[in-house]
Amino acid sequence: MQAVNERELVERCRLGDERAFQELVDRFKDLVFGLIARTVQDRSRAEDLAQDVFLRIHRGLPYFRGEARLSTWIYRIVANVCAQDQARREAMVSLDDDRVSGRSTPSVLDRGFGDLELRDRLEKAIVRLPANYRLLIAAHYLDGVRYEELAEALQLPLGTVKTQLYRAKQRLRQVLETELK
Amino acid sequence: MNHEPGTRNPEPGTPMLCNEILDAIEPIAAGEVMPDDRIAAHLSSCPHCAAALGNARRLEQMLQARPVPCAPAQFTSRTMARVRRARWRTEQFLDLGFNVTIGLVLLAILGGVWLLMHRSGLVAVSNDAVDLLGAGPVTLARRVAPSVPMYAGAAALLVTTLGLWWWAERELT
Repeated sequence: MQAVNERELVERCRLGDERAFQELVDRFKDLVFGLIARTVQDRSRAEDLAQDVFLRIHRGLPYFRGEARLSTWIYRIVANVCAQDQARREAMVSLDDDRVSGRSTPSVLDRGFGDLELRDRLEKAIVRLPANYRLLIAAHYLDGVRYEELAEALQLPLGTVKTQLYRAKQRLRQVLETELK
Repeated sequence: MNHEPGTRNPEPGTPMLCNEILDAIEPIAAGEVMPDDRIAAHLSSCPHCAAALGNARRLEQMLQARPVPCAPAQFTSRTMARVRRARWRTEQFLDLGFNVTIGLVLLAILGGVWLLMHRSGLVAVSNDAVDLLGAGPVTLARRVAPSVPMYAGAAALLVTTLGLWWWAERELT
């Protein structure tokens, strides 16, 4: 039923129905924004990139053949936008390692504060992951994103997606090992 | 059984390496792989691997509990505004390209007509037309009649071009 609705929605968008495209934005905005915001941290940049994704969707819909699910196609666009943004940033600025290298001993004031700090360290550790690992971690832990969809979106074999995800988690675990104890 | 991670277990008959276990820690922590008897036995006897599994499980929970950031309240309207701006820019670009093309085509047509008039001696006819305007309407009609089909053809060409222009403008808007 949802697939039919999705096809109808895409068809209406192709015919230039602006309200249909608005509906599409409404339907996918949390997924797109959530995925990007988990990858790039900075909310205003995340919003810019999320809007870029929808602009590309708008331009690309006439060429969307419907062979993959719409969400899979959107993941692929998100992955491309994030990769291009990463490449642009790497070309423009050298990474400021201070934000992650200023490690301090975990606070022992109270459990709540310790958890907050641990979550903060997790976010910082995720930022230090390579872009493809970061996107995998962001996408896999969003509701409903399956390995198969990720593999299709990223055009990678299923086994590679799983291996990369395990490696990403292994790296995170190694970075956080002292805090997790 | 305390030994360095990555070394073979000292007991014969237990060929499980810590490295093997550590490679499988993440899938086990995610609940995607069930530890078999060999792994379970190793985990119960190797504190290093057991601790790694504990950490991996904790990390798994933290990743699952990561908050999902929601799109800002005005996200849809701002996105739609950007889409409209982008579409408007594209239309302007297409419009400009079309107008320039039509201008060039008109210029080519005018140039062709001018060349045709020169080659065929019609310029002399046009010069005569000025003189004819001073003469009576009957004389004018008699003199112009042979050139009417050519003027009609040129007019039809011009009307077709302008019609195409109007149609394309309407399609774009």
